[in-house]
Amino acid sequence: MNKRSLIIALSLVALAATVSAGEHPGRDFIEKNGYKGPATCEECHSGKAREFLSTVHWKHASKVTNVDGLDPDKEYGMKNRIYTMCNGNDIVNNLKEIPKSPETGKTKFVGCNTCHPGNHLSDVGSTGPEAENAIDCLVCHSADYDFRQRKPFKDEKGQVIMGQDRSTKAALAIGKPTAKNCMVCHETAGGGVLIKRGFAFSGEADVHAAKGMVCVDCHKAKNHKMPTGFDPNNWANDGLRLSCSDCHGDKPHKDADLNRHTARIACQTCHIPRTGGAIAKDFTRWEQGADKFYEPTTLKKEANETVPFYAWYNKTVANTPHLIGPKGDRKDKNSKIYPFKIFQGKAFFDKKTGELLSMDFAPPMATGDTLAGVASAAKTLGIKEYQPVPGWQTIFFGSNHLVTRTKALSCEKCHAPNGVLNFKALGYADKEIERLTNADVYFEKLVQKQKEEW
Amino acid sequence: MKRVVSVMALVALVALGVFSFSKVANAEEIKMVGVITKIDIAGKDAHSASITLKDNKTEQPVVIIVNDDLTLDKLKDHRIVEGDEIRLKYEVIDGKNVSKYFRKTAGC
Repeated sequence: MNKRSLIIALSLVALAATVSAGEHPGRDFIEKNGYKGPATCEECHSGKAREFLSTVHWKHASKVTNVDGLDPDKEYGMKNRIYTMCNGNDIVNNLKEIPKSPETGKTKFVGCNTCHPGNHLSDVGSTGPEAENAIDCLVCHSADYDFRQRKPFKDEKGQVIMGQDRSTKAALAIGKPTAKNCMVCHETAGGGVLIKRGFAFSGEADVHAAKGMVCVDCHKAKNHKMPTGFDPNNWANDGLRLSCSDCHGDKPHKDADLNRHTARIACQTCHIPRTGGAIAKDFTRWEQGADKFYEPTTLKKEANETVPFYAWYNKTVANTPHLIGPKGDRKDKNSKIYPFKIFQGKAFFDKKTGELLSMDFAPPMATGDTLAGVASAAKTLGIKEYQPVPGWQTIFFGSNHLVTRTKALSCEKCHAPNGVLNFKALGYADKEIERLTNADVYFEKLVQKQKEEW
Repeated sequence: MKRVVSVMALVALVALGVFSFSKVANAEEIKMVGVITKIDIAGKDAHSASITLKDNKTEQPVVIIVNDDLTLDKLKDHRIVEGDEIRLKYEVIDGKNVSKYFRKTAGC
């Protein structure tokens, strides 16, 4: 180490020592110079803006290797997917002002890319210096963001812009993203609070939240790339994966019998006994609200209100117009039994091709005319001929939150006649089922445990 | 005599139980959907907020007290603002409408 390097290293150590725990070392710089967007962050975090542009949070898409019927060279995600939780995507439902309601004369801004952390001029997947400067770093990193600023508006040229809070006040409150930062977008996906995934990240609902953990403690980003699990319906990924065993190991229990289960039973199966959120939606029939605008008819459940569906899953996904769900079976050693939230969505399919058609929400939101929405989306996508017929699609959503220790499934919940698991449907023979659904499986062990407890 | 006293004590206990149960049952949750017309919250450190909503069904104003931290946080950073439509449940406690569930109806 030369003298210059040594001085720099010592200076950094001294700087770190003077900064109290949790305080951003750049605080003085921001106070003195104000916040000028990503350029301010780049003063110290050089290259981070460009890095962020290559992530799923910015692109809303990635190459997908575990889903049937996809082109391995193309990218898929919220940017371009069509499925019945949303029935649209960033392309057909690009953020825009919808037509005026004939009843009130009012309009509003709507779009799937409302949550995109840009300014809409630099939109999903954009690149270059302008895109780098459009990143809303603070919406994820500030604990004092004023959401009145993050509203869409039209500029003098008539372009729709998504506002941002770039105040010095917000910038002075930066740090590691809190659960709130993530949930701002993730809790309202799918058309409302806790609609899509239906999990509340609160101390009452999740053991990790109760311990004070935040989303990024598990979804620990590397260079802004977020690790994710293998939800059959969450295709886009940053190439990093996470699982319970990353922290808890392959033998997480003190009890060897329970540890034996982990070979074929996913942790989630016992530790996430309930799910929630929307269970069904009808995009062919929209309901009028008090504001006279229309929304898709939706059946909702609270977090922890729905019993999951259990199936073998080898982390590859069946993908047909009427089903998006887990592949796997008992004979496949890569498969484990996982819990899923079953969702069913009704939408228009093309009678000619059998494919699901997407919908631009602007027309039906204003007038309730759903076929006008299909026509608008078809025009955007260059589909000239189609014959819309209503039909249902079933989607299996991964159930990976709402984790509990105290309410985890215990032996008798599964090992009983008419228990939680449908062993027959899971591929077990009658003789095996007879053995597996008998108290003999656990009786002696639980008697001993009962004695110890009392 | 001893038996009569025991029976009376038992009757009193049952009556007390029934009475207590009715009190619980009285504090039932009322559901409504309405649009926020006014938010009164005393700064970032407030532990409570008073929200006025126009009930979609009756078109009458209803004042709701919000105490839960999650909703208070959304009010403080303006994720919930005037004009938002809210689906809520509340209980009448000591003459006040206390929120038990407070969600924006709109999503993405």
